[in-house]
Amino acid sequence: MTVTHLPDGRPPVVSVQGLTKRYGANTAVADIDLEVPRGVVAGFLGPNGAGKTTTMAMLLGLVRPTAGTGTVLELPLEQPTAYLGRVGALVEGPAFWPGLTGVENLRVVAELGGHGTDQIPELLELVGLADRGSDRFGQYSLGMKQRLGIAAALVGDPELLVLDEPTNGLDPAGINEMRDLIGEIAHDDRTVLVSSHLLGEVEQVCDWLIVIDHGALRYQGPADGFLGAATPELALAPEHTADLDRLADLVRTAGFDADRAAAEVTVRLDHDDQRSVAVALNREAMSAGIVLAELHVRRPNLESHYLATVQGGDR
Amino acid sequence: MTRAFRAEMVKLLRRRVGLLTALAVVVVAVGGTAIVLGGAEPAGPASAGQDLTLESLADAGGGTEVFRRAASFAGFFMFVVFVGTVAVEFGRGTFRTMLLRQPARLRLLAGKLAALLTFAAVVLAVTMVLTWVTARLMAPSQDIDTAAWTSLDGLAAGVADYGAVLFWITGYAVLGTTLAVLMRSVPIALAVGIAWAGPFEHLLQDAWDPASRLFPGLLLEAFVAGGTDDVDATRAFVSIAAYVGIAAAVAALSISRRDVTA
Repeated sequence: MTVTHLPDGRPPVVSVQGLTKRYGANTAVADIDLEVPRGVVAGFLGPNGAGKTTTMAMLLGLVRPTAGTGTVLELPLEQPTAYLGRVGALVEGPAFWPGLTGVENLRVVAELGGHGTDQIPELLELVGLADRGSDRFGQYSLGMKQRLGIAAALVGDPELLVLDEPTNGLDPAGINEMRDLIGEIAHDDRTVLVSSHLLGEVEQVCDWLIVIDHGALRYQGPADGFLGAATPELALAPEHTADLDRLADLVRTAGFDADRAAAEVTVRLDHDDQRSVAVALNREAMSAGIVLAELHVRRPNLESHYLATVQGGDR
Repeated sequence: MTRAFRAEMVKLLRRRVGLLTALAVVVVAVGGTAIVLGGAEPAGPASAGQDLTLESLADAGGGTEVFRRAASFAGFFMFVVFVGTVAVEFGRGTFRTMLLRQPARLRLLAGKLAALLTFAAVVLAVTMVLTWVTARLMAPSQDIDTAAWTSLDGLAAGVADYGAVLFWITGYAVLGTTLAVLMRSVPIALAVGIAWAGPFEHLLQDAWDPASRLFPGLLLEAFVAGGTDDVDATRAFVSIAAYVGIAAAVAALSISRRDVTA
């Protein structure tokens, strides 16, 4: 499922078509079209191995696409040197020089990008490392390393920030801090593309979602549109689990697709009138002598819809 | 290239690096001088630049010849340093970090190498001065007359010796960098480099005469020694220059084409 409409008239920050990466016989990313509007926090979601990092690496000029064209910041994807000066990134974890202090690491990054070093204290303050800037990177905890990675990505005040799994390895408190930090650094003139294999880690800060799985695009569009595309389901739980098979057959005979689970039968409601379907199936069950212990419409949440999407439920 | 150069200098111009480098300079200057002067033969002219004699050390270039000989002990060490310094950037993922800020890969590599060589050039200059001073202090104990060392000819010989050692270091630097770029792993690059420049070349040298005129490690050794019976310094210089050019082209091709996935 693909939804491609941008929330305003401004050109997208990322617009690529047919992006593909093959390693021999393996296809890491398969012919995906991406559009990321300006000024959004875009969640780039997919299970481990879905192709998120490879896609980001192609956008950042680290990996050469096998096929595909497009633009990043309105400049050709084939010329990363033209646009990377306006991009900050943290890809595949924070990689810095362990013998250098936090400040020295940021100085290296700033010099490489041709940026001034006077912004370093402010950046350390922003990521909560102001009092640890003179400590060596090798002595940092994982959370501190991730935060230094964010600070390094912010050097030069980039228009596009690409963060690959910034919550990886963090404890719940660290994940919360990282989520708050992402919310803090996002603003109208800066677009953030943040990947994660767990929707719950980023959904609160994302207003745009891109979902990929097995290298293929499953969804892209507004976050609320993703939930709106989810299908509610009717759950029927018989009093006795021994009646589950009979109940499932009965539902199918009534013309609905039934999924038999361990303690219930579920019916995808698609465009049907939820109330009339519930009434009809309740009546059928009663007629067959099956007493329903539960009968309710289950509205999908974002996480369950995401899991259904990447596990094939919505393909 | 300037940006990569300046960034590399941030890493090099640190107190810790300075202290370790100073220690290495003192060890090479004092230890190397003692070994070179102690090993000098008491009589007879030097033949083809191979054997150092007390008489040749009394020549105008004697003081800096000590530096040249002492520095040659550290050749293998320098090779290891360059392989390790570049390969670790790939193994640690910091090459990726650098590329995200300086995506022009050739400029990045050239700037890094230029900074390392500039640092090496300064360290060599300091080492040469310290070696010369140490040799001058130790020379009387070996009955070496150092009067000619302070002449204009001595200065010219010093410049020539410094240039030779710098070229020799550059050879190791480019070959080591190329190996690191191709292998992208410190242990693998070091294993290949050490195996090649150590046992492989020297075993072949014993078994096959042309090896001395063909293999880069042996040519570098011959060059810094001022030539050997098998290959003179000029031929070694030209051959090394060719190797350096080929290695630089291979490194440039590899770094500009290959994906960065670590």
